[in-house]
Amino acid sequence: MKYLVTIMPREEALDPQGRAVQSTLNRLGFKVQDCRVGKVVVVDLADGSNESQNLEAVKKMAQTVLSNPLIETFEVRTL
Amino acid sequence: MSKKVGVLRFLGTNCDADVYQAIKDLGHTPEYLWWSDRFDWKSYSALVLPGGFSYGDYLRAGALAAQAPAMDDVKQAAKSGVPILGICNGFQILCEAGLLSGALTKNISRQFQDEWVEVELVGSDGPWTQVGQKSFRLPIAHSMGRYFAPKDTLKALEDDGLIWLKYKRNPNGSLHDISGILNKNRNVAALMPHPERAIHSWMGSSDGRSLLQSGLGGAL
Amino acid sequence: MTLDQKLKHYRLSQSEYEKMKLALGHEPSQIEWALFSALWSEHCSYKSSKVHLRGLFTKHPRVVQGPGENAGVIDLGQGERVAFKMESHNHPSFIEPTQGAATGVGGILRDVFTMGARPIASMDYLCFGDPKDSETPRLLAGVVKGVGGYGNCVGVPTVNGQTTFHKTYNKNNLVNAFSLGLFRPGEEVFYGRASGVGNLIVYAGARTGRDGVHGAAMASESFGSNLEAKKPNVQIGDPFYEKLLIEACLEVMNENLIVGIQDMGAAGLTSSTFEMAARAGTGLRMDLSKVPLREPDISPEEILLSESQERMVMIVEPKNLNRVVDVFKRWDLDCAVIGEITSGDHVELVWKNQVIARVSHKPLVNQAPVYERPFDLPSQPKKTEITTPESNELGSVLLKVLKSPEMRSREWIFKQYDQRVGAKTMSACESDVALLRLPDSGRVLGMNTGCRVSVMQWHPYLGGADAVIFPVIQQATRGVKALALTDCLNFGNPEKPQVMGEFVSALKGLNEAATQLEVPIISGNVSLYNETQGKSIVGTPATGIVGLREPLLGPSHEFTESALEIFILKTKPEMYLMGEFNRIVHDREPQGDFTEIHFESVKSIQKFCLENFQHFECAKAIGRGGLAVTLARMCLSVGAEIVSLDGPRNPQVSLFAERFYSVVLGVKKAKAERLKQAIEKERHLELVPIGKTQEALELKILNLIKVNLNDVKTAYSENLGGLVENLA
Repeated sequence: MKYLVTIMPREEALDPQGRAVQSTLNRLGFKVQDCRVGKVVVVDLADGSNESQNLEAVKKMAQTVLSNPLIETFEVRTL
Repeated sequence: MSKKVGVLRFLGTNCDADVYQAIKDLGHTPEYLWWSDRFDWKSYSALVLPGGFSYGDYLRAGALAAQAPAMDDVKQAAKSGVPILGICNGFQILCEAGLLSGALTKNISRQFQDEWVEVELVGSDGPWTQVGQKSFRLPIAHSMGRYFAPKDTLKALEDDGLIWLKYKRNPNGSLHDISGILNKNRNVAALMPHPERAIHSWMGSSDGRSLLQSGLGGAL
Repeated sequence: MTLDQKLKHYRLSQSEYEKMKLALGHEPSQIEWALFSALWSEHCSYKSSKVHLRGLFTKHPRVVQGPGENAGVIDLGQGERVAFKMESHNHPSFIEPTQGAATGVGGILRDVFTMGARPIASMDYLCFGDPKDSETPRLLAGVVKGVGGYGNCVGVPTVNGQTTFHKTYNKNNLVNAFSLGLFRPGEEVFYGRASGVGNLIVYAGARTGRDGVHGAAMASESFGSNLEAKKPNVQIGDPFYEKLLIEACLEVMNENLIVGIQDMGAAGLTSSTFEMAARAGTGLRMDLSKVPLREPDISPEEILLSESQERMVMIVEPKNLNRVVDVFKRWDLDCAVIGEITSGDHVELVWKNQVIARVSHKPLVNQAPVYERPFDLPSQPKKTEITTPESNELGSVLLKVLKSPEMRSREWIFKQYDQRVGAKTMSACESDVALLRLPDSGRVLGMNTGCRVSVMQWHPYLGGADAVIFPVIQQATRGVKALALTDCLNFGNPEKPQVMGEFVSALKGLNEAATQLEVPIISGNVSLYNETQGKSIVGTPATGIVGLREPLLGPSHEFTESALEIFILKTKPEMYLMGEFNRIVHDREPQGDFTEIHFESVKSIQKFCLENFQHFECAKAIGRGGLAVTLARMCLSVGAEIVSLDGPRNPQVSLFAERFYSVVLGVKKAKAERLKQAIEKERHLELVPIGKTQEALELKILNLIKVNLNDVKTAYSENLGGLVENLA
């Protein structure tokens, strides 16, 4: 079973990367109001049987390892 | 003979002043070129893209700088045979701009690496190989220096003699130990080590002199 | 909120509240509470330490600017000047090590370039807990990543520093960042002063977010066990933005377009503007609704206290405004006029066309509370007999010491730092003194850091003095004359009389050494409340010392060739402390006969080195782990045979004790005679031949130690990264 974890900088936290990308895109003529750069992690769990247990496990890894809750938020989606 | 050499400055370039000084120390006339301004490439005998962290290495190292207006003129100059050198981040920008093949990816250590390396001259044709010296002791300072290209590209580089420099002991996991490459016409060259930080013996080595001097002499 | 709740929220005491009310003449409004909370915090006001900082040695003909500005400045002659300062970022680096360390580096860089000097070198004084402590690997990996990530990107080389592991720093790591900037001939010094009534207050750089609101007050508090609650105000640094800010600011300064400039550091806009007005003796009128914001719904209180990074305040004459805006625009940066300078001493704050506060900066800045906290001075140091179990295995003991995390090579750390950007570096982190060539005069700038925890543990006065003396002697071995220093005084809870006593004693030692060696203190910072769960750290007065060498070339820190004569150059009397050896080998407290500083001999050894360094091929002050460790570190590529030890002591003491003070010299035979002649005039020095360097790749010390250089190298270069492997 595959899960997609999207990790984004917290809304209220500064995203230096997004700021730099946005400035370049706007200079190239795109009209970008806000731009934030995050990352995605795809995890494939060996045991595909228990959907809710798996989701809990992925959430736990996202919370404790994949993201830094001080500066990032995450979302988990089943693929 | 003193030559006018253009030194590109992107937002976040931080080796511009070092390259400028090195070019001066070698007896040429450096001139800064600003990323957002077009320039008359015909009036320069060579162009250098210095190292640093253009746009903070955000998105991908070199990716945002490759979109700068001045790069249009760099591309024209490249097409017309003007010798162009990319150092470190300059290498990454040239790859992102499509002027050199391949890409520079994260060091296999996943860390920034500052150390001295030995590199060997492999290429033999074009302005950047007329060096009179086979091996060089130079400093590296990068976290995205692992050269990567698909198998057939690597084979073509080897077959066509477009690999410029190779590490004697590979520090970062670069494929084929590549530390510098040339374009097909051999006027565009780039390397990850910093020759401008090795031009006086008090810096720890002066091997960078001949490497810089070779191409700055102007088109052959 | 009740009064008690307010006092707690704004971290002010009942008596401070009374004082604030008296100064205002009325019950404080919410904004006023916030202003006083920030500016009267320990972090901004130095209320516990101020009385002790007043008498420091800060004036000297070479000092252009002493403490009180963004950074100190000294004159090197020949038109060259340098600005430098060191600052702590301990608390933020514990909460979020990478961002905490990064923003520490960013902040100190801004302090330096706001003076008008281009930053050319950084150093870092780092302390972590026991390597076995569960937090240490995370903190080590994070801090190093933060320091390197910021410095590398912004293009300022990290050229030296010091990393200590000691259980006293468990869950209370120290991150002290030093930065130095260079004024080339003709470049002017700028100050953080809001002068000229009618001049504009211009905000430049990043937009204001909620980062680090109440950070200054937080840094003035001890850590309890409840860390989670303190998390939401992490500041995020952007070295790319900082690089743009450096270039834009230096450009407007070089074109002389601004009157004054200050970085928004702790307590952000509040402390920067109030301090600038206080220094200039002017008033301000500021419209907070003109401050560029990252999110639309930030309150005026939050705007005043935000610690968003990479922001500056500039004072600009109206006629230069357009040009300033153009320069910033060219660097892709925004500026905004947020107010103007007024006469008087009042700061008027406007929000959406309404005056929300009008207060004099006097009570806030110049009349902040000053405490004479009670202190218990530590008792006099006592001579103790050094007892150490006999050992026939000193070779393996040496390897064990070299391999310990406390002693082994810091290569894993400094490899992650760009040490050569700027193309001035001659020698960097691999040596005990960084050397940079000055581009205009061709002279050599030397710098390093000081303070050894085992000496502080032994006695605060001696530890404070040693934090100056030892790095000064290290510089002298390389021919570098120390010229000035900055310090970062990291101590525990000042409300505890013992901690305050430790602070007073260490500062006295530091100041006495600075005075005697003529190394004025030109800048610095105090970090108190380094306490976790009621336990204060061993006080750590870290120093950053800057010196100068006239000739380009000087001695190496390693043995360079065989057949050199090896000498110990030492003070009379010389004193010993079994510090690191006791800790690493026997897990014991330090013991020793180091009970006072004999300044005459200390000055002699510095002077002798400075007068004779041209005769040394290599030289290294005997540091942590004593003679044996120092020899081993000089022997990385050339072997040595030691045929006699200096003095009648127990060989383990001669070999492993820290010495106060001695230097190992490697000298060519032809030059040895000259040194022997020179030493005859010295009443307080001794030069003792102990052996020779040799072709055989081994270090042999009498019949006590015989180790292969490969084994030395393997032990010494044991990867520090091993500690953090599963994290890296």
